[in-house]
Amino acid sequence: MASLPAITVRLPGPLRSCCDGASELSLSAASVRAALETLESRHPRLHKSICDETGAVRRHVNVFVNSSHVRDHQGLDTPLARGDVITIMPAVSGG
Amino acid sequence: MPDRVLIAIGTKKGLFVAEGSKARKRFELRGPFGSGVAVYAAKIDTRGAPRVYASSCNAFFGMKVLRSTDLGCKFKETKSAPAFPKEDGRALANIWSFETGDTKKDLWCGVEPASLFRSGDGGDSWELVAGISHHEHARKWHPGNGGLCLHTILRDGNRMHLGISTGGHYMSEDGGTTFAAANRGVGAGFTPDPFPEFGQCVHKIAGHKDAPGRLYMQNHGGWAEWDGPGGRRPDIGVLRSDDHGKSWRSIAKGLPSDFGFPIIVHPHDPDTVYVMPHEGMTRACPGGKPAVWRSESGGESWGRLANGLPKKESWFTVQRDGMDIDDLKSPSLYFGTTTGQLWMGRDGGEQWECLFDSLPPIHCVKVAQL
Repeated sequence: MASLPAITVRLPGPLRSCCDGASELSLSAASVRAALETLESRHPRLHKSICDETGAVRRHVNVFVNSSHVRDHQGLDTPLARGDVITIMPAVSGG
Repeated sequence: MPDRVLIAIGTKKGLFVAEGSKARKRFELRGPFGSGVAVYAAKIDTRGAPRVYASSCNAFFGMKVLRSTDLGCKFKETKSAPAFPKEDGRALANIWSFETGDTKKDLWCGVEPASLFRSGDGGDSWELVAGISHHEHARKWHPGNGGLCLHTILRDGNRMHLGISTGGHYMSEDGGTTFAAANRGVGAGFTPDPFPEFGQCVHKIAGHKDAPGRLYMQNHGGWAEWDGPGGRRPDIGVLRSDDHGKSWRSIAKGLPSDFGFPIIVHPHDPDTVYVMPHEGMTRACPGGKPAVWRSESGGESWGRLANGLPKKESWFTVQRDGMDIDDLKSPSLYFGTTTGQLWMGRDGGEQWECLFDSLPPIHCVKVAQL
């Protein structure tokens, strides 16, 4: 059985308090959804800040794989490859 | 004897805490706590070692509950905030109300979408209260302009009254286990039936411990001039119940408008009740001339209190939790505005002064004496 790709999750400042101050997390996952599920089990407070109770990514949170927004690919089912970087960013809103 | 007054001020940009002596001549301001994040609900629990609770509703990263055990000098997030079970399908959008329970760590919380949560450990863990959150009406409620919110939790022994916009008034007589709609006499201007079983846009409900069974309600009024389907519905905005909320009657006669948001009762006199009439269209005091209106007869007649308030050109709104009164011998009334001013009215609102004039827009004001 092939091992899951090792990836990195980069976090904005306001979320680092949910994971002991870490700015990046290393984990293995084959899709964005799987990566978020791993975050849910390892860092539940972090996951709650990214996703609501239904599992949907919060309205004002953007999730990128490398430099592309997941909505431009396959959403949470976007596949991940070894070395990919997921970046969590607050959406720019307001004036 | 209390020697100081604490005011929790929930704003669009976080929570502020003002502290002053019982003379209330000068207040020191602390904050913002939860900086940059809107606070719609706060509660000061003065029983035993005081605790201050506040919601922190982050549009980006979700809901938090903040708690202070040092009179609002520092706040920490509780271990968790209310959250719907995954299978429920609803997601928390805001926290609108806190109310303390029987024990020191018993805490109730009303949220958006309209549901009730209960904590037995001071806000560290939460359980959905199924009796109202899964009520057979719950999926038929609609959001008002402020969202579908459970904003009022009023406890009276084993009775509990809930205000939901737009759901109406719901009452429990078994300590918060089961709930029934209790809206006889509570009108709605936006439904074909002027007095539906439920679905009213209740804005706030208040009671008094010395008058069990009596309740006051600020409902969504402003329909006296309505000429659309169903015709005019005057005087549905300010109501009173004398049977524990089972039926309601208008006490709006004499007010310049029956629309408004907060309604509060004098701490030492259940016949004295305060409202802040707004115009329905502007959500501001009629003509831009701010005034609190007081009845000293349980709503039979009303008088205007405006000494010290601006005489014109003031178009702010005072939101549903934006007014409160302290419990001192000669109590002061407080209200916060959407233009960021915190006003204090001495002697029950006889003489007003602005305590802070440039805060962020104010959502809630809760006061306690310690």
